[in-house]
Formats: sequence, structure tokens, C-alpha cells
Amino acid sequence: MRESHLEQIERWAKFVRDNPNSWQKSHSDFIDAIFENHEKFLQEMIKTPKGREKLVKLYDIKNREGYSWLI
Amino acid sequence: MQRAINDLNILSRFCNEFCKIIEKYCDYIVVSGFVAIASGRTRGTEDIDLIMKKVDLNKWKIIFDELYNNGFICMQSNDYKEIYNYLNDNISVRFTWKDKPLPEMEIKFSKDSLDEYQLKTKVKLSLTGLDIWFSNINVNIAFKEELLKSPKDLEDARHLRIVFEEMVDEEEIRRVKKLIKELRL
Repeated sequence: MRESHLEQIERWAKFVRDNPNSWQKSHSDFIDAIFENHEKFLQEMIKTPKGREKLVKLYDIKNREGYSWLI
Repeated sequence: MQRAINDLNILSRFCNEFCKIIEKYCDYIVVSGFVAIASGRTRGTEDIDLIMKKVDLNKWKIIFDELYNNGFICMQSNDYKEIYNYLNDNISVRFTWKDKPLPEMEIKFSKDSLDEYQLKTKVKLSLTGLDIWFSNINVNIAFKEELLKSPKDLEDARHLRIVFEEMVDEEEIRRVKKLIKELRL
């Protein structure tokens, strides 16, 4: 039977608890991949028509001076 | 054990750099989702939530300038007075690294006895490898189970209960849940 989502979370949590020195590498790779993927998305969005304005809306940016790709 | 800066993922490095500035000037705690994520929960997030002790305008200017000089931008404004007014009105404000809309640090001033309790009972969590202050595990579990309650939050609480089982204190969780009902619901 397929492992439920909660069982999966519990299994991983127990692994973290029982292996305090070895969970970080795969965890960090996962987190970094999310932001690397986001950076690629950002670069592609900037190239599209109205891409910059969509990003302003998406992130609710009021201070445009802080983001050079908006100037 | 604290991890070397190079070993930190993007989210942890961002949080670490930000907190190192804040801690020079006031008490603070990192709360909610990042507590679970820094403790090994495998999920994404766009923001980290931080509660800081209320400071006066002069001290806020120093903090704001130092954040700016270290590459942090406030998404709402470059005007420290305007941002201070938001904080004073209990409106959270968001900072990012310059030119990067993510990740965000969402900060607010401590506003009630529940926030003060969290500041008073702050902890460092060696499992995270980060030398920063977190709100204590029982408070985080109580907020997630009593106030936030989304599937993601309930999963975070389950993760924290297992990873920090030796810290879980049902009596404290019950007391904090009672406070949440009185002050936030």
C-alpha cells in the first residue's frame, strides 16, 4: 500500500531526529533547488512582455529602487 | 553544532545574515514555518517570520541603515520613518536581499503578552546548525495546532513533535493554546 503523506512526514522526521549530522545535505539541496528554480523563473519573466509589472504584482513590491531590474 | 556559512542553504544563510544584524540591537525570535524547515522539514517557503522587541525610532534608524548597508532592501520603502510607522501600527514589513524578490524576511514588533512570552522563552536549536534565536518548540506547536491549523501547519507541528520529542511539554502547549484563545481568536 502507498505510504500516506503523513507517514512520509513522520518517517523523514524520525530520520532527522536519529541522524542529526546526515540529513542536512539532501535537505539543503532541496531548499537551494527551489530558489535556483525561482531565479530561472525570474530571469525568464523579465524577458516577457509586461513581465516586470507582473513580478511587481506577484511580490507586491512598493520600493522599486531596491530591485535594479525594475528601473 | 553550528554549520560553516558555506554549508548553509540559501534560506538559512539569508536568515543568519539578517539575524546577526538585528541581534546587535534588540531581542528577536524567528517563528513559525522556518522553525520547522530549519529543523529538517522538507518543504518550501517564501518568507521567514521574525518578531523583534519594540525599539525607538533612533534605534530603528540604525538597524534600518545597517540592514541597507549589508544588502537588505525593504520591499515597502527606503524611508525608515515610514517603515517605523508600519511597525508601530502592528503591520509587518518585508525585507529581501537587494535585487532578489525572494526569500523575504517578514518582521513585526512584539505586540502583546504572547509575543513577550515567546521572546522570554526563546531557544537556540543545535539541530538546525544555526546560531540564531527561535521561539520555543512548544509555542510553535501550539500556534500551528490551535491558530494556524492548515494541513501544512499541522504537518509542521507533527514534524516538530517527533524531531524535538524530548522538548515537548504538553502542559506548556496547553497553557499557550489557552493564551492564543484569549488573545488571538
